[in-house]
Amino acid sequence: MNGYRCNSCGKLHHPARLVCDKCSAREFETVELVGEGELLTHTRLFNLPVGINKDFLDFGVVALDAGVCVTGQLDVEGEIKTGMKLTVTEGVIREIHDTEYVGFIFKKA
Amino acid sequence: MRNVYIAGVGHTKFGKTDLPFLDLLGSAALEALDDAGAKTGEGHCIDQVIVSSMGASIQNRISGSASALVDSLNLCPAMAECVENGPASGGSSVKLAYMAIASGVCDCVLVVGGEKMGKGKEATDFVATMLHPVAEYPYGLTLTSFAAMFTRLIMDKYGVTGEDLARIAVKNHANACHNPVAQLQKPVSLEDITTGENVAKMNPMVADPLHRYDVCPMSDGAAAVLLCSEDIKDRFKGKKVRVAGVGQATDTHAVANRAVPTDLLAVRIAAQKAYDMAGLTADDMSCAELHDAFQILELVESEEAGFFKRGEGHIGVRNGETEIGGRIPINTSGGLKAKGHPLGATGISQIIEVVKQIRGDAHGRQVEDAKAGLCVNFGGFGNNIVATVLTKE
Repeated sequence: MNGYRCNSCGKLHHPARLVCDKCSAREFETVELVGEGELLTHTRLFNLPVGINKDFLDFGVVALDAGVCVTGQLDVEGEIKTGMKLTVTEGVIREIHDTEYVGFIFKKA
Repeated sequence: MRNVYIAGVGHTKFGKTDLPFLDLLGSAALEALDDAGAKTGEGHCIDQVIVSSMGASIQNRISGSASALVDSLNLCPAMAECVENGPASGGSSVKLAYMAIASGVCDCVLVVGGEKMGKGKEATDFVATMLHPVAEYPYGLTLTSFAAMFTRLIMDKYGVTGEDLARIAVKNHANACHNPVAQLQKPVSLEDITTGENVAKMNPMVADPLHRYDVCPMSDGAAAVLLCSEDIKDRFKGKKVRVAGVGQATDTHAVANRAVPTDLLAVRIAAQKAYDMAGLTADDMSCAELHDAFQILELVESEEAGFFKRGEGHIGVRNGETEIGGRIPINTSGGLKAKGHPLGATGISQIIEVVKQIRGDAHGRQVEDAKAGLCVNFGGFGNNIVATVLTKE
C-alpha cells in the first residue's frame, strides 16, 4: 500500500490526490506505507454490501506512525480497543466483478 | 438578486412502492403544481424542471429522467436537467433553482426529487458508491460503518450515550405519527429500544455501537417544490414561503483525512452561509429539519448549526429542547429516521416540512407561530452539505 509524499512541503497523503492540501504543489513521491499505527476508532459491521459473504467485518481508522490516517479492515483476534497498536499488512479486501481489490488489513502489533 | 418563493409542494408517502420511478416523480410534481394552482400545457409559466436523484441510473436504469418527466407533464419546451449530488441532491437542486430565479434567468422552476432504492445488500452497496472509490468503497465500508466509527468518537469525547441516541429516535417516531407521508408512523418507547424484554430482537446491533433504531430505513419516495420569483408569485394561489438563504460547503472526500474527526465542518460553514444570506442567526429559527440518516448526525448537526454549544446537544435532547414545544423543535416531520430517506427526495422533503410549518399546515405537529426554519441536507459522510433557510413571505 502506498502513500504519496508532497515533493514541496513533505506532507504524506493517502489516497493519492492531484494537489497537495497543505501547499497546493502537484508532484508527489510514492512511498510504501509500512510499520505500525494507533487505532483511533472502529466498528463491527453486520450489514455488509453485496459481494462480501461474511457475517460481519471489523473496520477501523488508524493513525499510522508514518504520519497519515487511513481506513482499513481489521483482522484482530480478541477484544478490539481504541488506542491499541496495530501493524500494517495488505491483502485482498474484496472481489468486485471478478477483480480483486487489495487494501489495508491491520493486525495486532 | 431577486427574492425567491416556494409556491407549491408535493410529497408521496415514503416507504415501499410499486410505482415506476417516473410515475413516482410525476405524482409528487403534479401535487406541487396543483398546490400552487399552476397550469401545465399551453401557456404554462414553468421555465425549468430539475430532477434530483442519486441512483436513477444505477438502480432503475434510467438516465435523462428530467427529459422524460418534462414531456410527461406536458411542460415542453421548458428547460430540463438532472442533478446528482448524492443524498444532498435535493438540497442542491433547490439551491440551483434559487440561483436561476434570483439571477433573473428563470421566473419559475419545478424541482422534483425521487428514489427507488431497491433492497438488501444491493441497496447497501448502491448507497456505498458515494464513498471514496479507492480508500473506502472497495473495503466493504458503508455509510453506516462511518456513522458507527463517528459515534464512537463522539461518545468518547463528549459523553454521549446510546440512550441519548435512542431518545432522538423516540422523538422522531412520535413526530412521524402525525405526518401522513411518513414511512414509519408508529411510536416507540425508550424502554422498547433500550432495556425492554425484546430489545435484542427489536433493536439489534447493526454496526457497533449503532443499533437498528440509530439508523434510518431504506425508502422509496418523491417530493417536489415549485419555486417562483417575486414578479410572478401572485399568479399562484395560497401562502408563499420565502427562500431567504442558501449555503453549501464541502469537506474531504476520504473521511480519515479530516483534521478534527469529531467535527462536521461543512455543516457549520453551509449553515452559517445560509444564515448570513438570510440576515438571521440560529436563534431566529423556529424549527429545523436536520439530516438524521443516523441519529448521531441530528445531534452533531444541531451543534454545528448553532442550536447548541459543541458537545452539549445531548443535554438539550435529555431536557426535551428539540421536541415540539421545546426551545428548537428538530425533525418535526419524523426526520429521515421515521419519515424515511429516499436519497434524491430527502432534501426537498425537508424543505416541504419547513414550508408546512411556516404556512401553519403541519397539522398535529405544528410548531406554534413558526416564522423561520433551517434545513440541512447531508451528502456523503459530511463531504457535501446544503443548508437552506426559509422564512415567512
